[in-house]
Amino acid sequence: MQISPDILFQIAGFPVTNTVVTTIITDIAIIALAITMGKVISLKPGKTQNAVESVIDYFRDTAKEIAGDRAEFIYPWVLSFFLFIVISNLISQFPGFESIRFHTLASDHNGVPFLRAATSDLNLTLALAVVSVVVTHYFSIKHTGIKAYFTRFITFRMFPIFLFVGILEFVNEVTKLISFSFRLFGNIFAGERVMATMYGLLSFGLPLPFMVLELMVALIQAIVFAMLTMAFMHIMTDKSH
Amino acid sequence: MEIIQKFGLEAKLFLFQLVNFLIIVFILKKFLYAPLKKTLDERKCKIEQSLQDAKNAKIALENAGEEGKKIISEAKSNAETLTAAMKVSIEETKENATFEAKRRSEQIIDDAKQKAEAEFENMNKQIGKMSIDISGKVISKVFSSLFTDDEKQKLVSRALEKIDEKITN
Repeated sequence: MQISPDILFQIAGFPVTNTVVTTIITDIAIIALAITMGKVISLKPGKTQNAVESVIDYFRDTAKEIAGDRAEFIYPWVLSFFLFIVISNLISQFPGFESIRFHTLASDHNGVPFLRAATSDLNLTLALAVVSVVVTHYFSIKHTGIKAYFTRFITFRMFPIFLFVGILEFVNEVTKLISFSFRLFGNIFAGERVMATMYGLLSFGLPLPFMVLELMVALIQAIVFAMLTMAFMHIMTDKSH
Repeated sequence: MEIIQKFGLEAKLFLFQLVNFLIIVFILKKFLYAPLKKTLDERKCKIEQSLQDAKNAKIALENAGEEGKKIISEAKSNAETLTAAMKVSIEETKENATFEAKRRSEQIIDDAKQKAEAEFENMNKQIGKMSIDISGKVISKVFSSLFTDDEKQKLVSRALEKIDEKITN
């Protein structure tokens, strides 16, 4: 298994990889959930609505506790990150991932996996990291003002101490991108590798504890990404920071 | 560049994932968060309203309890007043009844006395009359053999007059 996703075929010059297929499946699942829930929402919730509501309520309340009145802007983004990552990660635990093979012109006689965890593609994790950082900076400008926003990075107060702090802040923002994207990518990719190794050793029984571990990793990584985004959004939109 | 290639980073794929996620956020916001937020806020409002109603009902119940206690206390006080008034009234009625009974019994006694006296007088008169008749008859029987009719008549008349005088005295 290579680090980069396998290209299955091309549509008008666009490379359709196995992670793109999984991303589309994730999209369908999320859209189906959103539209179905949107239609069946009532004041007396059913089991599904209760489950979705409890997740939304948890993130909304946490955002309120951390960011106060800014929670209403923050929580939809944080929740979207969580839902997208967790659904994508959980989908990749279904049977068929790795085992369903697809033959391309470039592949050998074993072919390539038709489906691969979407978050094991650095393109996706980096895109999510970029969205997280850009939206955080957009909220920062919106809530603190453009002057306060730039003062965070460039200031001549107590020269050269705060100028150096500003440079560190800038470096911090770049490292956020790297840490966000590589943490998620690394965890999921490593999980897939572990699972593939276990299946290779003994297909029956042995992968089961690792599967449970992977389910936990899937959930934890989604929570970590969402919570870090929430924390950064709070810090960047707080005028006192 | 080699590292980028190794990790499979590609501008088209990166942009696809970026746009894809933004579309997902838009869909989630429009179809899930907005209606769910509306429902949650509505429910919160309803719960708050229900809690307020329950609070008001509790206060009303407490007030009603106090009002009830007040009414019971007033009723108790009224009952005590009425009982006292009744006692007084009963005492008065009792006294009146006793007095009336006494008065009537005295009246009855007086009437009886008067009647007895009248009866007694009447009897006396009758006894007198009877004694005169008997005396007359005795005298006439006694003297029929001793005196003539004229003498008898005179004696009887004089005796009767004397008896009559005695009775009247």
